[in-house]
Amino acid sequence: MIIPFDIILILFIFICAIAAITVKDLLSAVMILGAYSFFMCLLWTQMAAVDVAFTEASVSASIGTVLLIGAVYKTKRRSKD
Amino acid sequence: MKIFSLISAVVVGVALIYGTMDMPEWGDPNSPASTHVSPYYLEHSIEHAATPNVVTTVLADYRGYDTLGETTVIFTAGIAVVLLLRKRRKTGGEDDE
Amino acid sequence: MNDFVLGHYNYWMFIGLMMIGFYAMMAKKNLIKKIIGMNIFQSAIILFYISTSAKRGGVSVPILEHAAGGHGSHGVDVAHYANPLPHVLMLTAIVVMVATLGVAVAVTLLIYKRYKTIEEDEILMKIKEGSSAPKELVDVRSQKDSIKLRTNIEYRTRNVEL
Repeated sequence: MIIPFDIILILFIFICAIAAITVKDLLSAVMILGAYSFFMCLLWTQMAAVDVAFTEASVSASIGTVLLIGAVYKTKRRSKD
Repeated sequence: MKIFSLISAVVVGVALIYGTMDMPEWGDPNSPASTHVSPYYLEHSIEHAATPNVVTTVLADYRGYDTLGETTVIFTAGIAVVLLLRKRRKTGGEDDE
Repeated sequence: MNDFVLGHYNYWMFIGLMMIGFYAMMAKKNLIKKIIGMNIFQSAIILFYISTSAKRGGVSVPILEHAAGGHGSHGVDVAHYANPLPHVLMLTAIVVMVATLGVAVAVTLLIYKRYKTIEEDEILMKIKEGSSAPKELVDVRSQKDSIKLRTNIEYRTRNVEL
């Protein structure tokens, strides 16, 4: 664990989380959620949890993003809040 | 309603921060999570399973039933999604478009 | 004080992420936004578990070195490897997270198919009016009718038998 690297990654993660729930365009929100997942992967890699990191990158960041994009494609793209 | 949600989220956060005051320091090698059973796994992984990756050993050998239950959960979720999203043809198409 | 902050700030960060997810699940009206909040919430919990497995000072990933040469368990220095047990539990939790996400997306698609909207207040309004969801009402009524019919038939057959 490297503390300055950790602080920078946590800052990015906070920005991505707040942006994902405030953006009104749902496709953008899903994309920002994918970026959030990849920053989470980096954070876990620097905590020496490589197995969890690549499981998150392959399962949550890709399959989850694809599922959510499918949902946005089938429903409406604009959100009211 | 939004104010109520914000207040309840902040109250939960303050309670959890109060709870972390007694946690061991981040990265402490002698914390209770790192001293009970995980040294046993690290020391005996090669001897019992001949696998250098300890995570694989614990996932597939020491805690194989846990992985079996996880597979059951994924199977149940897949069946639920298929049952929810299939096209209903026989039983009257009233909720299809 | 400085040591205390350096030893605990990671826990506070995960609590902040959890609060963001919790607020999104409660306050946002859009169903996709609610699902995104649930995802953030679960990632924060997993971050907490992974934080308990980290160790200070030059710790490597839990893959043993010199595994091919050594036969016994003599050379393993436990303080040199990260704790593998939370990693295993969180592998399970990540996969369950994606299964939950799949079922939530399927239910959202069904809701959109019936009500033509994914905003929560509009759905509640349409349910209250009963205009866009006549199927349930019809269902209930026909169910009641069929029950009445069935009891009638049973009554008659019983009479006949008697």
